[in-house]
Amino acid sequence: MKENASRRSALAKLGAIAAGILATPLTAPVRAATQKVLAGAGLPKGYDPSHHKWVMAIDANRCIGCGLCAEACKKENHVPQGHYYRTWVERYIITKPDPDSGLARGETLVDCPNGGMGGFKDTPVPKEKIQHSFFVPKMCNLCEHSPCVQVCPVGAAFDSPDGAVLIDPKYCIGCGFCIQACPYGCRFMNPETHVAEKCTLCYHRITRGLKPACVEVCPTQSRIFGDLKTAPPDDPIRQFYANNRVQALKPHLGTEPRLFYAGIDKEVR
Amino acid sequence: MPPQILRLCLLAAGIVVSYAVARFFLTPASFGQYGWFRGSAMAELADHERTYAGRKACEECHEDVVKKLAAHGHKTLGCEGCHGASQNHADNPDIKPEKLHFSTCVRCHEANPSRPKWHKQIVVKNHYTVGNCTECHLPHLPEEAP
Repeated sequence: MKENASRRSALAKLGAIAAGILATPLTAPVRAATQKVLAGAGLPKGYDPSHHKWVMAIDANRCIGCGLCAEACKKENHVPQGHYYRTWVERYIITKPDPDSGLARGETLVDCPNGGMGGFKDTPVPKEKIQHSFFVPKMCNLCEHSPCVQVCPVGAAFDSPDGAVLIDPKYCIGCGFCIQACPYGCRFMNPETHVAEKCTLCYHRITRGLKPACVEVCPTQSRIFGDLKTAPPDDPIRQFYANNRVQALKPHLGTEPRLFYAGIDKEVR
Repeated sequence: MPPQILRLCLLAAGIVVSYAVARFFLTPASFGQYGWFRGSAMAELADHERTYAGRKACEECHEDVVKKLAAHGHKTLGCEGCHGASQNHADNPDIKPEKLHFSTCVRCHEANPSRPKWHKQIVVKNHYTVGNCTECHLPHLPEEAP
């Protein structure tokens, strides 16, 4: 009984100490100091994320498959060498169907040599056998309901209020759930830092009034970048929605991508 | 109350209090600023060096070239698409961008069945193999001959 009493009083004391710590004004500087270690620099001056809603659109009719976007992304964001891409270009080839089959379209072949970096040279099938072929640049689909954000167990993946889907590299524990959850294959595990990585819409550029690196180098304006909150009616992004029949990838998944494509076939996933 | 229940209650209270104390001190101030994430992560992601300077930076010194380009067929091209990443050149003009050669043009203009039909394409081996593209074409004024 005596032992029980002493334990009880010890626990009561502990509780009192905790309550005291929470109450004393001394906690403020201690708390601030703890959080200073965890916090970083501020956003660029004059940038308020609530005043923007960035979005990208891709006009595949204009893509010539030069692969400059994939290369620029890799350089700008120091993406590790090897098969790691934040954006890449795919080549779709639909072959001529066998005349006896009675089909309108043949087989679909998709390839992406080296992420499209360095361009596309030889086709995997002879030219005469191709019915239709085109390039499709791929990247984060900027989902309204991002599966990658929903599955993150530590709050490291998030939808920023200005439209980018981002990863907090300090909070990411490298579990890889988000990589499995993304239906578009837009995330990968960085082999050097062991945290998940993805397109940030070049967050360091857009917050300073610059375009993402892939948009900057695209020679045909196949990639269109804009701000839905501030773009005037003649802005390329508004013109894109006004002048094209657009579609999102895998709409049946309910991810509601904000990245729209123009000029792609039903074969594109 | 039976003592074992009381002990369990006290233990539970102790766990809750220590969790609350740890949470109070360890949760970053910016967590929850914009949503269920650390708000200052956005600032950290924005704080990243650039390798591409952007067309605006090129225009500061090369306005004449940018203007010339804007009036012709290559008007949609960004400077750094052909000339390469040039933030270091913008920071220090003594560092020159890479010299361009044949492959810069061919990269986009070599015939390829996947390329859209509106895009001007050549089969290089049937077109000209002896010298450089710039002998006949001006990259900044593609419609004009030198």
